Amino acid sequence: MPRSIWNGTIAVGLVAVPIKLYSATESKTVSFHEVHAKDGARVEHRRFCSKDDDEVPYEEVVKGFEVAPGEFVVLDKDEIAAAAGERSKVIDVEACVCVDDVDPVFFDKTYYVGPGDEGEAPYRVLHAALDKTGRAALGRFTFHNREYLAAIRPLGGILVLHTVRFADEVVAPDDIEVRRPSTRPGDREVEMAARLVESMHEDFEPSAYEDQHREAVLAMIARKAKGETIEAPEEAPAEDTPDLMAALQASLDAHGGRRRRKKARS
Amino acid sequence: MARALWTGSISFGLVNVPVQLFSAVRDVDLHFRQLHEPDGAPIDVRRFCAEEDAEIPYEEIAHGYDLDGEQVIVTDEDLEAVAPRRTRTIDIDAFVDLADVDPIYFDHPYLLGPVGESEGTLRAYQLLVDVLGRTDRAALGRFVMRTREYLVLVRVRDGVLTLTTLLFHDEVRDRKNVGPSGSKKPKKAEVDEAVSLVEALAVDWDPGEYRDRYRERLRDVVKRKKQGKRIKIPKESSAPAPAVDLMAALQKSLAEATKGRGGAPAARSDAADDLEDLSRDELYERAQAAGVEGRSSMTKRQLVKALRG
Repeated sequence: MPRSIWNGTIAVGLVAVPIKLYSATESKTVSFHEVHAKDGARVEHRRFCSKDDDEVPYEEVVKGFEVAPGEFVVLDKDEIAAAAGERSKVIDVEACVCVDDVDPVFFDKTYYVGPGDEGEAPYRVLHAALDKTGRAALGRFTFHNREYLAAIRPLGGILVLHTVRFADEVVAPDDIEVRRPSTRPGDREVEMAARLVESMHEDFEPSAYEDQHREAVLAMIARKAKGETIEAPEEAPAEDTPDLMAALQASLDAHGGRRRRKKARS
Repeated sequence: MARALWTGSISFGLVNVPVQLFSAVRDVDLHFRQLHEPDGAPIDVRRFCAEEDAEIPYEEIAHGYDLDGEQVIVTDEDLEAVAPRRTRTIDIDAFVDLADVDPIYFDHPYLLGPVGESEGTLRAYQLLVDVLGRTDRAALGRFVMRTREYLVLVRVRDGVLTLTTLLFHDEVRDRKNVGPSGSKKPKKAEVDEAVSLVEALAVDWDPGEYRDRYRERLRDVVKRKKQGKRIKIPKESSAPAPAVDLMAALQKSLAEATKGRGGAPAARSDAADDLEDLSRDELYERAQAAGVEGRSSMTKRQLVKALRG
């Protein structure tokens, strides 16, 4: 197991559970650095004063918050850190909510929670209680000088902690304009679409979905390194669907056929 | 209305729906800018070619990749050529049960709206909304945005298609050695007591109940600083010690949690609010002076409660 990134305590009433947090996720996206296309040289980001147009050394850079257009209030590191409150090492459980009631849009980052020193017994008890009740424990969590709302819930045999987005950060569906058709889809169309959905239904099996694009990008880079030119295959853009019924029927025919073939082979 | 981050179409079977993508997360943070200390002027970051020592426009920047010590230069066009269809189409490969997808896989949420006013588009969009809303299923698909491909889950929230990017399975770390070592079972009596404690703390999930206190404090710090006031920097607080007797701690906590229920919420005097401003260490000192029992295992909130009496 890699090193823990935070050590502290979950407190439920007078029950203290010493814990350690670990990263649960890591990006595997192919990453690039900026280069000058012409000569392949590294690109440097240099700081310039917008007033006197001179390059500014790092020691002369401060952080300012814009309070009115063009008006800044300068804060030093400690003053910014003061906003984190007392940088508590305790996640004080305020409430327990049904995990299924929390819409997934609220979950932000996930961390694994392991027991800290002397923490195994209370950890097991908290895990068992949350697991039995289907609930997540909510509390405030301070990490890197910022306070988060956190939800702690069981996942298999361990606990995980999600940072939780605040309501005013989440865009409500009716904040975007969605035009509705003048005639809604008829029962027959919904019926056929439902059949299409069923014919394409499968169990969610995370390991069945590989990032093929990552491999394809790496293959493209290898070709480019050999001096090949990369050309995009021509493809016609997708059009919208003027005849919904016909498209659904054709899709069902195609998928029914695929299913049968799959079955025949196995 | 928000700006669309991506425009293309979502396609399931032979049904195509032109759509645009919006972020479902709003940035409400207070942002800082880098300033030049001597004159307080904002700082601009400019890109320079390290070789020529000259500023270069954004259009002249490409992506460099280190392939076994050798640099390969890749352009936006090269990246787009890898999967041209997917840069324009969200292809639905399957439908799954929403409840089967653990939230650990969820990355970023977006909203999908139909593009244009054609009746064909609007009906196809509505059809997808109606059928997903009826079945509790979510559509699983893929598409490419900027330089990477995303596995996505499309579902319905309040009549609008919501798209969430998912992590690939190899981006979720192994959790084999995270939990307690061995397979010791917790004592049944302790678990029963803990279940009652969790139930005593149960509330309905209401996201509007929780405010971002960090954001509020940062705004407050900026305001005080602007008025020329001193910023108090809180000390790091200490943690309560784990209970020696777990069962006793559970029982006491349950009694505390159920006692608070049903009664009228305590009126908050100014003095009580002052207590909340103190750190745990300061509260602990007061608790010591007042002879509060069990203070060493109390959290900040409990110390405030005990001191209020």
